[in-house]
Amino acid sequence: MKTFNTDRIAAKSYSTTLLARRWLTEKVFEIELTRPSSFQFTPGQRIRFSPETRQRDYSLLTTPSDSTLGLCLFNVEKGQFSPVLAAAEIGTKFSFTGPHGYFTYRPSARPAVFVATGTGIAPFLSISRSGVTEFTLLHGVGTASDLHYQDFLRSTARLYVPCLSASPDQAGTIENGFDGRVTHYLKEYFPPDTYDFYLCGRQEMIRDVTLLVDERFPGSLVYAETFF
Amino acid sequence: MKIYTGGGDRGKTSLFSGERVNKSDLRVEAYGDVDELNSALGALVAFLPSGEAALAEELQRIQSDLLHVGAWLAVTPGSPASSELPSITEEHAQGLETAIDKMEQELPTLKDFLLPGGHVSAAWAHVARAVCRRAERHVVRLLAGNDEDETSLQLRGVVTYLNRLSDYLFVLARYCNKVQGQPDTIWRK
Repeated sequence: MKTFNTDRIAAKSYSTTLLARRWLTEKVFEIELTRPSSFQFTPGQRIRFSPETRQRDYSLLTTPSDSTLGLCLFNVEKGQFSPVLAAAEIGTKFSFTGPHGYFTYRPSARPAVFVATGTGIAPFLSISRSGVTEFTLLHGVGTASDLHYQDFLRSTARLYVPCLSASPDQAGTIENGFDGRVTHYLKEYFPPDTYDFYLCGRQEMIRDVTLLVDERFPGSLVYAETFF
Repeated sequence: MKIYTGGGDRGKTSLFSGERVNKSDLRVEAYGDVDELNSALGALVAFLPSGEAALAEELQRIQSDLLHVGAWLAVTPGSPASSELPSITEEHAQGLETAIDKMEQELPTLKDFLLPGGHVSAAWAHVARAVCRRAERHVVRLLAGNDEDETSLQLRGVVTYLNRLSDYLFVLARYCNKVQGQPDTIWRK
């Protein structure tokens, strides 16, 4: 019996090697992995590691034209896999499957609004580095020191709004920054209209923004990728 | 991994193509039916007679295909999301026809109406068949008045597929009864 086929790239298993690691803050780090020659993906997609019986997915922050693969991770204390990647020696081999997910850019006549919290910025980096520029980006983080990619994003996005949720005395200051959560900015300052919202990050943000879209931006589209 | 987001707590949900719709929307009804059908197939597989590994594999392929069907039902006409989904072609319905013909070769000719039931696997096949028919009716309603866009063309393929799948499940119910030595129950008027 024939099963349905798609032109979409099918997920397969690959081997990769850790090439480099760069700590961006005490808890957040970026890693560079070798890119298997046959591995293809669409900006916004994930790769999956399967330590023991668990599965851990991470969005790629590099582009399909890059020669290596890049990930940005939060080192979760007692996490299943991020501590492994945080401590692994350069040269360590890993296996992964991919590409996974449908969180890819879909052009439309409506303005695109990217909303990220923390390392949820990764798929938007891949998408914008691949040539998408007509977007508004709200990046919710604790403090200004968590805005790792702001120079590139500020120069690429039509509007870039870093949202700092820590108390003002701890958050630091940033050009055109907003003191408060991304949901607060959307609720109080973002003009009502119909948009294509792309949400990536914490589950609470995705829930709150989704419900806000129903109230304040009816007719908008919502695409979401939840980081747990 | 937590499976809840809470984004649907106020009665709306997001389609695969991104729109926020009421959970009473016809599309949600339709892919909800397909989900229910898929779950009934899961129960059917769980109750298959031993020694039917090939049949279990066939049903799991159908379950996998139904996820694609559900995705098509969650895409509005003209959405760029349609480019990410596999086409539903006549070949899929033809695959079901081949499977039907193969099972029917082992079954006596049917001359009466049957009461759904028999072996538990057959009973689940009948439940799945009835849900499949409901899914088909909802997809037909979705198609009413729609243009000849790509999504509508795919939904026409879905209607054909579900129509044939209902027939497949009817024959499968009889096949399950046969391999279990359980006679079909004839309708006594």
